[in-house]
Amino acid sequence: MIQVKELKKVYSGVIVVNIPQLEIRKGESVGLVGNNGAGKTTLFRMMLDLIRPEAGEVLSNNEPVAGHEHWKNYTASYLDEGFLIDYLTPEEYFYFIGGLHQQTRAHVDDFLAGYGDFFNGEILKRGKYIRDLSKGNQTKVGIASCMLQNPELLMLDEPFANIDPTTQFRLKNIIKDANRKGVTTLVSSHDLNHVTDVCDRILLMEKGKIIKDIATNSSTLAELEAYFAIGNSIEPPASAELNIDPEENH
Amino acid sequence: MISTFLKHELKAFWRSKNTGKNLAVRIVMAVLILYLLLNVVVIGFFMDNVLKSVFPHDGLILSFCGIILIYFLGELFSRLQLQELPTLRVQPYLQLPIKRNTIVGYLALTALFSVFNLWPIVLFFPFIFKVVLHDAGLVTALAFIVSILGITVLNNYLALYIKRKANLNGWIFLIVAAIMILIGLSDFKWHIISIRNISYLFFGHLMSYPVLALLPVLLGAGMYFLNFTYLKKNLYLEELSTKKDKFKSSTEYPILSYFGSTGDLVANEIKLVLRNKRPRSALVMSLFFLLYGLFFYPNPALRSNEGFKIFVGMFMTGIFIINYGQFMFSWQASHFDGLMVSKVNFADFLRGKYLLFTTASTVAFLLTIPYVYFGWRVLLIHFIMYLWNLGFTVNVVLYFANRNAKRIDLSKGASFNWEGVGATQLMLSFLLLLPPLIIYIPFKYFKYEDVGLALIGAIGLTGILTRSFWVKFLEADFYKRKFTILEGFRNK
Repeated sequence: MIQVKELKKVYSGVIVVNIPQLEIRKGESVGLVGNNGAGKTTLFRMMLDLIRPEAGEVLSNNEPVAGHEHWKNYTASYLDEGFLIDYLTPEEYFYFIGGLHQQTRAHVDDFLAGYGDFFNGEILKRGKYIRDLSKGNQTKVGIASCMLQNPELLMLDEPFANIDPTTQFRLKNIIKDANRKGVTTLVSSHDLNHVTDVCDRILLMEKGKIIKDIATNSSTLAELEAYFAIGNSIEPPASAELNIDPEENH
Repeated sequence: MISTFLKHELKAFWRSKNTGKNLAVRIVMAVLILYLLLNVVVIGFFMDNVLKSVFPHDGLILSFCGIILIYFLGELFSRLQLQELPTLRVQPYLQLPIKRNTIVGYLALTALFSVFNLWPIVLFFPFIFKVVLHDAGLVTALAFIVSILGITVLNNYLALYIKRKANLNGWIFLIVAAIMILIGLSDFKWHIISIRNISYLFFGHLMSYPVLALLPVLLGAGMYFLNFTYLKKNLYLEELSTKKDKFKSSTEYPILSYFGSTGDLVANEIKLVLRNKRPRSALVMSLFFLLYGLFFYPNPALRSNEGFKIFVGMFMTGIFIINYGQFMFSWQASHFDGLMVSKVNFADFLRGKYLLFTTASTVAFLLTIPYVYFGWRVLLIHFIMYLWNLGFTVNVVLYFANRNAKRIDLSKGASFNWEGVGATQLMLSFLLLLPPLIIYIPFKYFKYEDVGLALIGAIGLTGILTRSFWVKFLEADFYKRKFTILEGFRNK
């Protein structure tokens, strides 16, 4: 599904992403973990052709992402609120996204009816623009609009970050369901419990490199916790300070 | 503290994405201002000669007294259109241990550093020193100086106050402009009131009672205080601005659905304009410019000059393109990432812009039809400029949109978001006015006006007919700059 080749991104002399080779097969559910500045968001952005890599390329279905638009037909993603049109009501936004994929309003309404629990009555018919919603509710709109697109590839950047525990559980089920239906999922998270629960394969990033690529099993969580605990207990290397991802460091 | 603010603002200027463009604009502005100032200095210096030739029967000081208020009225009008509001992004400072009064005081005080405040000084002071000091003595001269400074300050803050209000609600600007036009008309056209007499009433009495000079000073101070409290109140409003109880309903524009996904994009953009304060006031300002014809057409001296009609016609039918288009695609900065990854074809996106501008210009053209009162040729020229705007101006505006990577945050409160509402913006619009005049003037010189007009119309029409080429061209051009634009838009 996705191939990453010799991908490199440099911000003011610091390499923030450096991935010689990575392949994500169709139907895989991949979790991306790593501390702030590890390069997760930058990697996502390069996969979505939002940032130009210094070297290398990302192929989606054997076609380079950069300069092509075909991947937009089957890729749904939500990285941050910047993906939402904030002066629309959620309904208007869903109709717009649905319309892009040739879905009728009735179809969109049907789809949204199935998300009643997920929205918990706080999104639809509330008479609010998206900009008036809380960050968690905006995330819900973003995730639902991803699912509305019936993607083959789903990319979510820290989807668990702003939402309440109930919604987190529901979201895990949504992702698992989608994966069961054959959707390739790529999810980044700081929550090791969630990510090991949802994903079959974990990529651990550090300073732009993928340093671990493991299939999830019963010991994965412990392994990851050990890594991050060590990262906390010893003095961080001096370069870690410099290695702040400019994308995350607003 | 104030010097820290100044330093921060300088840094913001030099480190902004568009420094080059801003700098170029400022340099051109500075040259223009210097030139104007030089003219005013000359007028000020020879004011006595000027007054003598204009009012040969009145005493020198008498006629001087008469013109002061007229000048200030005109000044207020041009201030309203040209004076820039001092900006400081206050949010990062609010939670820090900095007194609110310091922040507000900074905003209010820096407003005094405007060229507009120099003009009355260079215009009137030479005369005061040359004539008033000589004829009426030191005390009277001082009284004149103090009251002119007072009125300058009053005018300064009055203009800013109206402008700030107008920024939140475009109608206020229209109302104020209408009132000022009415005042002007009732003096010069209907002769109901006489500003000259009012001016004379005050400044004439000033000669006998110099104490009166305190009145403008008090008014100026009062206006400053009004500004100060308004700004201070709005420091709070900023945080409360998202809290609105009104139910926001979903809207559809069924006509646009005929245009497929292009129509959907236009529907979104219309919502953008109507639901956000800043683009909304850009729209209302466009309505104001529809009145421009009323300034120029009734004037018999200009009636035969068709260059003016080109200028006015272009402004009236194209002001929305100029006003709204020059901040393209910044209006959408906050969700541009989303647009880029969603299934939106960029060519469709561009076609949406064309559709939006075509709609806006067509409406504007239809609204200017009553100007046919001033002759059929007016309508003809409006139509030619309408074609020009849709065939040429649109392409230029979109070409520069590809070079604009400055984020505009629509969701953040509009009350402190004033960039691009002053002279710089107008100047960019004037640059867009040059090409048709450059085409027209040589023909006019050789007395082939009609050929010149036809050529402008033909270029416009060609531009419209070759639109699919421009869409392709702009699309290719965009992809060359895509990442720079995206990065700039993400840069909060």
